[in-house]
Amino acid sequence: MLLKLPLIIVAVFGLFMLVQFFVEAPFLDHTYQEILDWVQIIYLFTLWVGAINLIKLHLKKSTHKKEAPYSVVTLSGIVIMLFFGLIQGKEVGSVFDWIFKNVQVSLQASMFSLLAFFVASAAYRGFRARSTEALVLLSVAAIVMLGRVPIGDLISGLIPDFANWILNFPSMAARRGILIGIGLGTVATALRVLLGIERTYLGR
Amino acid sequence: MDFSTTVAAILSLFIFSFLYRDNPFYKFAEHLLVGVSVGYFLVISIDNVLVPKIADRLLRQNDWSVIVPLLAGALILARLIPKWSRWSQLALAVVIGVGAGVAIPATLQAQILTQMKATMFSFIPPENSIGWLYILERIVILLGLTSVLAYFFFSKEHRGVFGTYARIGTYFLMIFFGATFGYTVMSRLSLLIGRIQFLLGDWLGFLN
Amino acid sequence: MKRQYIYLLILAALTIPLFLPLGLKHQVTDEVEKFYQTIEDLPPGSTVMVSFDFEASTIAETKPLAQAVLRHLFSRRISVVSLSMLAEGTGLGHSFLKEVADEFGRKYGADYVFLGFRPQYQATILGLGEDFAKVFPQDYLRNNLSDLSLTQKVRNYEGISLIISVADGDLPQYWVDYAQTRFQKPVAAAVTAVMATSYYPYLSSGQFSGLVGGLKGAAEYETLLGKAGLGSKGMEAQSLGHLMIIALIIIGNLAHLRTRKKI
Repeated sequence: MLLKLPLIIVAVFGLFMLVQFFVEAPFLDHTYQEILDWVQIIYLFTLWVGAINLIKLHLKKSTHKKEAPYSVVTLSGIVIMLFFGLIQGKEVGSVFDWIFKNVQVSLQASMFSLLAFFVASAAYRGFRARSTEALVLLSVAAIVMLGRVPIGDLISGLIPDFANWILNFPSMAARRGILIGIGLGTVATALRVLLGIERTYLGR
Repeated sequence: MDFSTTVAAILSLFIFSFLYRDNPFYKFAEHLLVGVSVGYFLVISIDNVLVPKIADRLLRQNDWSVIVPLLAGALILARLIPKWSRWSQLALAVVIGVGAGVAIPATLQAQILTQMKATMFSFIPPENSIGWLYILERIVILLGLTSVLAYFFFSKEHRGVFGTYARIGTYFLMIFFGATFGYTVMSRLSLLIGRIQFLLGDWLGFLN
Repeated sequence: MKRQYIYLLILAALTIPLFLPLGLKHQVTDEVEKFYQTIEDLPPGSTVMVSFDFEASTIAETKPLAQAVLRHLFSRRISVVSLSMLAEGTGLGHSFLKEVADEFGRKYGADYVFLGFRPQYQATILGLGEDFAKVFPQDYLRNNLSDLSLTQKVRNYEGISLIISVADGDLPQYWVDYAQTRFQKPVAAAVTAVMATSYYPYLSSGQFSGLVGGLKGAAEYETLLGKAGLGSKGMEAQSLGHLMIIALIIIGNLAHLRTRKKI
């Protein structure tokens, strides 16, 4: 029964939401809103599974000699945020908000800004025009890079116009093709899920 | 150069030290980031979601309807215990079922029908005269869209006329990837500019 | 060329223009103009929903974007109901909103409200269309929505004239898929540059009422507002950075050709 039940739940909830989209029936409204509410709550728990798993991992690692200090740092970060956030609150000016702005935001912004260095390194080492396709890709990239900054306009007024044209026509057309393709794939997969054909989400 | 900015700046420098090589300062900053991020998420999810949506309703308003999603949520937590993990599938099925159910009409309308309609409508000529550029642009849209779709159509072998047409699609894809690559470079450099402005301006006060 | 030299080159290209401004001017693109005009066309007293769908990693782009858009809204006396689809966007969104609202002397509860964070995009977007208070019984500051004058007046999308998603991912697409398809709400997006190219079909089809992309988009928006901000200040560094990347690609390819000929 436990094998079949998830498939039945998926079909019942999925078909209800599908039908609800097309049929305007006030008596369905309450159930519809309740279900949307349930999904938000259940989803929150799925996010907690990730957080709890991470805590478990670091608790385990904190007993290993080499990794212990770093895992203690991670665990301390969690405890400190929980303590100040839940005791003092999260308003602007609180300790929680101070840590968020000066530690978390700063670290995360810096972490991602490293990508600028890696892009520069990859530009020199990796981006080779080995085929016509690669040449097209790199040429378009160069035109867009120049056309989207003030210096492109300084070199020639045609560069920004050409970059705009590329974005609005050939690039847009290709992306539209991808979008329609993804859309068809999404609809097909969703139907397969509702009909119980697609079961990979159950690990089967 | 106040205390808060100095703390933020020093932590940023710990991250940048990775450019030289992996080192304990970087590792410390990396682990601290993971810790505070998870802590931040937990606080927001408890204070902003759990309390108003579950605790208040249950304890202050005696709204027992919240018990159902709460039990389903508890089933999700069963995932943490290997022996019971299969029970989480029941709650997961609700999320997946609802997701699939709402996705079908929304995707069909927003991503397929509206996009196709927009392509067709772009062929309705404007009231003023049509120039050669206007015609070229419409040909580009039609050729680009159909050839890219042909490229992704794998039920027919990419040979002969169809193969050539699908090959045109790869060039359109390269144009899209090139434009995206250009914009990605732009994005990444912006992130670093933001950090340089912070370090040299907000922290050291060298910039106006 | 050693990896560290490349790092130094890009660092120099991005730093020097910050000290030596060249006074370069930039064009305003149609998509940004369209976004600006959409807000200009809203009658004062309208309410707009702003969703902060980004995380701290992209703050260098999303902060100038959010600030420019919020400045425009508050300067036109448009009320803002705001939220975030990502937990991290909550703290950032709330502080940007407060900062700009204070600049214009707008009052919390009457001129703007910050709802906070909800997980699961589809259910949240669809739920808000029915009843804000069902999805958010309380706002971010734990006020009941029924106690705030703005949310007493605006209870669901019916009172919302435009939805703006400031995003670093695919959230604007969800707003189109669910809020627009089901509730026919106009959607506009201010996104990081890396996401911008993906959204041109939505602009061309009219599903987006405007598109502002990246730091350059923010700079264009600031030009339209007539007030230079974070976007404009970074544009010259961006210019030199792009030139440096193009030069590195060309040099890299030439070096590769030379070694290939030798073989």
